Amino acid sequence: MTAQMMTGNLAAAWSARLADVDYVPAFPITPQTEIVETLAKWCGDGSLNARFVTLDSEHSMMTAAGAAAATGARVFTATSSQGLLHAFEVLYTVAGWRVPFVLVNVSRALASPITLEPDHNDVLAARDSGFVQIHAETCQEVLDSILMGYRIAEDARVCLPVVVNLDGFILSFTREPVVVPDQETVKQFLPPFRPAHLGFKASAPHALGTAVTGGATYSYFRHQIHLASVNALRVHEEAAVEFERLFGRRYDVAEGYRLEDAEDVLVMSNAYASKGKAAVDRAREEGRKIGLLRLRVIRPWPAEVVRRALRGKRAVAVLDQNLSPGQGGILFQEIAACLYHEPLRPRSLCSFIGGLGGKNISEGEFCTIFEQMEDAGGRGTGVGPVLLYTEAEHRDMEQLQFLAHELRTGR
Amino acid sequence: MLAIRFHGRGGQGAKTASRIVGTAAFLEGFVAQDSPIYGAERRGAPVAAFTRMAKAPIRERGIIAHPDVVVVADASLMGDPAAKVLEGVDGKTILFVNSPMSAEQLSAQISARGHLTTLNLTEIALQRMGKRGAISALLGAVAGRLVGLRQESIHEAIARELAELGLAASVIEQNQDAAKYCYEAVPVVALESRARQTVPVALHIPAYESPTRGTAGITVGPNSGIRSVGGWRTFRPVLRPDLCNGCWLCFANCPEGAITIKPDGRPAIYYPHCKGCLDCVEVCPTDALTVERETEATSKT
Repeated sequence: MTAQMMTGNLAAAWSARLADVDYVPAFPITPQTEIVETLAKWCGDGSLNARFVTLDSEHSMMTAAGAAAATGARVFTATSSQGLLHAFEVLYTVAGWRVPFVLVNVSRALASPITLEPDHNDVLAARDSGFVQIHAETCQEVLDSILMGYRIAEDARVCLPVVVNLDGFILSFTREPVVVPDQETVKQFLPPFRPAHLGFKASAPHALGTAVTGGATYSYFRHQIHLASVNALRVHEEAAVEFERLFGRRYDVAEGYRLEDAEDVLVMSNAYASKGKAAVDRAREEGRKIGLLRLRVIRPWPAEVVRRALRGKRAVAVLDQNLSPGQGGILFQEIAACLYHEPLRPRSLCSFIGGLGGKNISEGEFCTIFEQMEDAGGRGTGVGPVLLYTEAEHRDMEQLQFLAHELRTGR
Repeated sequence: MLAIRFHGRGGQGAKTASRIVGTAAFLEGFVAQDSPIYGAERRGAPVAAFTRMAKAPIRERGIIAHPDVVVVADASLMGDPAAKVLEGVDGKTILFVNSPMSAEQLSAQISARGHLTTLNLTEIALQRMGKRGAISALLGAVAGRLVGLRQESIHEAIARELAELGLAASVIEQNQDAAKYCYEAVPVVALESRARQTVPVALHIPAYESPTRGTAGITVGPNSGIRSVGGWRTFRPVLRPDLCNGCWLCFANCPEGAITIKPDGRPAIYYPHCKGCLDCVEVCPTDALTVERETEATSKT
């Protein structure tokens, strides 16, 4: 198998093609558009035998995706940012239907102010919907995660939709070498979709997502969604083992990088984790014992894996590429919560907010994170939330404020 | 790892150039990565694109802050602070500028660190391809030469990337020929290895400001009038009043509102707001609008 240069968007489209999906409901939005454009082309020229339908909105698109999956079709769809939020109501609804399909979200920061570049407030807004969430670091991982996503979603122990997240621009428009697996091997990994509890027959009518009142019935069914999601941890591991056997690449729910002998750990997710690894390499050259933990599966939350990875470390810095106003970093909270009962929990937990709206995280900023983390580890105190935003960037900001508010144009 | 940063204007082909170099490097067995960055898509606006190549997996992503080579598709970008052409350029960076001037002449006009080299790509494109279109193949060839890629790989990469854009075989060949000429003609500067010390940066801790300043709003009224886009032009439309029939199609089609109608019913071009998209030239039924190339001397308006 040879690699080819491919964007993250094209890798996503290739994965849907290899999964031999039946139905693609679509609505374009920057920076996702290349995915649905490519699938439209392939459905048109016959290289993908699927029905491609453009819907009037993401709300309709997600409804169509869930409804089609309920008939037993294998469904792929994709959106981004405002589009994901427009479909928000339906995310919870289709998760409750327990219909397996894969949704790709190409992260783009949310309005207001409006922008195009990525952060993770869009996909993390869907954190509590019941979707399984996988966050990819590379274009190869985008392709591989979608295949794994179908296997996990369609497993009878899970039966939940899966969202695979990739960063707009940083992966979506970035080409790097990607190996496209061979179709026959993908078929071994992903047998045809034959769900026992789904599919419509005229002779056997049934209803899905019926109304319940009184709370107890509701509690039972909602808790079933929780149990299904927790099951996905085990199912992910099985899928990872089989994926490695067939394709030679291994993905766990979280990835440790130079973690074994690390004193201090930086926690990141998604594409900027690559930059984090490069920063760790530079720090190691200076003799600093820093490692990185990359979160890949965020729902279900891999609490035990995180605990094991961070047990006995001195300081941990969580770099959230999101901001929950009035609180801080979303993943920081989850990391802190799962360490509470760990006897060997790190002395210091530091919270950094960086890369909002796709802002670059420079080598110098990583250096600053490491310094503050090491200081905090020495003191045994926490830090943050600290916004990664430099003095130089603020000087540009003041110039913009001058243009927007003070400059008189004589009109 | 080698890092190449392209600066161009929307429509000039900076993104495709980054892909040509990425593909050529990939064909030669390097790990390659290429990506563009642009805001709201707008012809003539400054855009940047990036190519990284290495013998090992590339862990850097996004913008290139410390380029080994900077390729500038349009000399007017040098004077546009928004383009940030010289950001991260140090004494060892190779800086290529598409310009009719020699490196010596240009270095007298701009204060840039790094090794300057130039070639008049726009003129070469006009002469060899007879067109004002994108110069991606030429930019790719120059960048490929400066980072030591082989001519044959560039040749093949141009074929792949331009075919991807749906260009005809004859057009691709023209591009390959012009690119080969540029590959051989560009004055080469030797790459120097660079070692940088990474130091912590000072973070700014923002304080709360009133919503007037703390939200993304504008309170001074219309201020786009003071933003000249005249510097975006590679070519300018010029009106020949004797051929104008007064149909106003140019006025109706100008996306920037840079064409006004005078009391005599004839159009006038306001050059500070003309970004050089040449839509007016395309729609003029009497060829009353002609095209002149901007040079460093005329592009100041």
